[in-house]
Amino acid sequence: MICSFCFRTFDEELARKQCSHCNPLIECGRVKCPYCGYESPKEPKSLKWLNKIRMKKK
Amino acid sequence: MPVKTTSANPDRGEPSGKSRYKSDASVPRVLLVGSPNVGKSMLFNKLTGRYVTVSNYPGTTIELSRGLSQISDRKYEIIDTPGMYSLSAITDEEKVASDLLLNERADAVVHVVDAKNIERMLVLTLQLIEAGLPVILVLNMADEAEQLGIEIDVAELERILGVYVVKTTATTGEGIKTLIDRIPQVRAGRFEQIDYGSAIENSISVIAKQLGEQGHVSRRTRALLLLQGSCDYAGCAAGDGGSPGADLITNAIRDCSSQIEHSVHYHITFAIQEKVKQIVRQAVSFPGAHVRDFRERLSRLCMHPVGGLPILFAVMYFGVYKFVGGIGAGTVVDFLEGTIFETHINPLVVRVFSTIIPWQTAQDLFIGEYGVVTFGIRYAIALVLPIVGTFFMAFSILEDSGYLPRLAMLIDGVFKKIGLSGRAVVPIVLGFGCDTMATMVTRTLETRREKIIASVLLALAIPCSAQLGVILGLVAGHPFALVAWAGFVGSVFVLAGTLMARLLPGAKPSFYMELPPLRLPRPGNVVVKTYSRMVWYFKEILPLFILASVLIWIGQITGVFQLLVAALVPVVNAIGLPDKAADAFLFGFFRRDYGAVGLYDLQNDGLMTPNQLAVAAITLTLFLPCIAQFLIFKKECGFKIAVTTSLCICLIALATGFLANSLFNLLGIAL
Ligand SMILES: [Zn+2]
Repeated sequence: MICSFCFRTFDEELARKQCSHCNPLIECGRVKCPYCGYESPKEPKSLKWLNKIRMKKK
Repeated sequence: MPVKTTSANPDRGEPSGKSRYKSDASVPRVLLVGSPNVGKSMLFNKLTGRYVTVSNYPGTTIELSRGLSQISDRKYEIIDTPGMYSLSAITDEEKVASDLLLNERADAVVHVVDAKNIERMLVLTLQLIEAGLPVILVLNMADEAEQLGIEIDVAELERILGVYVVKTTATTGEGIKTLIDRIPQVRAGRFEQIDYGSAIENSISVIAKQLGEQGHVSRRTRALLLLQGSCDYAGCAAGDGGSPGADLITNAIRDCSSQIEHSVHYHITFAIQEKVKQIVRQAVSFPGAHVRDFRERLSRLCMHPVGGLPILFAVMYFGVYKFVGGIGAGTVVDFLEGTIFETHINPLVVRVFSTIIPWQTAQDLFIGEYGVVTFGIRYAIALVLPIVGTFFMAFSILEDSGYLPRLAMLIDGVFKKIGLSGRAVVPIVLGFGCDTMATMVTRTLETRREKIIASVLLALAIPCSAQLGVILGLVAGHPFALVAWAGFVGSVFVLAGTLMARLLPGAKPSFYMELPPLRLPRPGNVVVKTYSRMVWYFKEILPLFILASVLIWIGQITGVFQLLVAALVPVVNAIGLPDKAADAFLFGFFRRDYGAVGLYDLQNDGLMTPNQLAVAAITLTLFLPCIAQFLIFKKECGFKIAVTTSLCICLIALATGFLANSLFNLLGIAL
């Protein structure tokens, strides 16, 4: 995904592995940019699903 | 297509001594490097055809694609490296790419860049050439750059850099033939050496003397990487040239960082970027020079310690006061609360539940003052949704325009005057950072006392953007209350920053220097960002509201709720707030924004003056961040420190509220 702060591209899964889990109660809904430390919310599943449909149409 | 492809190379990359990557030494190897989204993989496919092996880089989960290409009657092995922005690696992908460049044989390094963004891309090119690698610069997406009217003088670039430069459009295959012709002729480039300043240059020469020969990467580059801490000792220093003077190197690194103002990384990046600017001026011409000029000037103005403040003020005025306060907390809340819930949903729900549930106590769980429907769901939908929604939308517009990094630079500029850096803190405040705080505290501080002070300061100074939004929504309707809030919270922020600088003197933040372009926000991006953020917030907030309803219901039956509220009433009275505010402050123990949400009803019913609003907002902003944060502290620092810290935070927050209230009363200020 692209960081909303520094606009660099990074791998969401890898970034989540590097980040220590901060909220022990629920699954963390945020992704932290490895370059600048800015945390963005994870892209919701509904959006990913929409994107997939759009890609398929193309 | 001019490239013949053959079947895949059968051997797999296995770790073997220094070189982790085993393959036929007689086959020349070409590394494709570049940042993500520049069309590198497509270029790789054009060069290798369909026969490609994909395997994990030894010791990692990162995939590498390798293929073979026939170039002028010779077989070449082509490796597509993971995306990288800089030779001094941060992410795992970058580490793999950097490891390949530093420790593996490369007969040609093809640096693929996006021609449209050549300015941001040349930094890595210069690093690669400085490392003495045989580089070919590929300006990919040349067609898009041309459409935008960007003219790049290839011959001039070749002259300055001393390497071959090829324009390509990987999608159509244009320029690939030229690239293939260039690969066998590749040569190491040369350009006027970059001067990193005397402190760094001295350390480079000290370190370089201690380094043996290793691969084909220059000693200068390895010294630079050691200085930036982005290469471990074994990776950069140990070579075939005997045992290097480890102590001398360690001393040189320490001396260097004590002599310079910022981190080594900052100074090095800055120097390279200046060089890139100079090269771009010589070899690239952009269309609409006046538009670019205006953007450049606006960008600089945003970051100027004096000129940037009016812009920040305008952002606050239109974004927060007008949009969030006026439209979100005003018009939309009035409609949802007043029209939809009060006149339609609530009466209906009350009628339904009172007919199907005959017992008053059970009825209260759903339709009481803090019932699941009348409190939990109504609050989430009619109050939080519009306020958080408008705030997140305003925020997403700022995000997408590229303003935020400039805001960080602006605050940094102001903070620098009092001897500390805001650049490390701003992304944490504006993002939703919370794990950063705990790790910052535990990593750098030794003593218990210091840990407590530092975590109190961090918790006070850093409300996350979601909390900021809700609390701001509370005061946004009253301009003077907003100003008072900004004044008090800003002062505490600066005070906390000053104390932090005394406490954490060695912690120089290594923050990136490269600013993303300032641009008009794209509506599609804004919608996606706002939506993502709202989904995230509601996943965390709605369940807790319903849980709170149930807990309060139990508390009311058992009498615990009344007891807690009774205990809090004197406290809220002391800071000048009405009795009813005690309920809200009780929610504040869950998260500070819940406390703020709890006050909306009081505000709507006209039970609070603007003075009281400002005091409440100030206190809540400085209040305990959230229960989750408490648990992190408990995990990282132990139960005692977590409890002590929380008590200190509560006391400081209430003391500041008390101070604000007394000050307003004493000076006879009515906001
Ligand atoms: Zn980032």
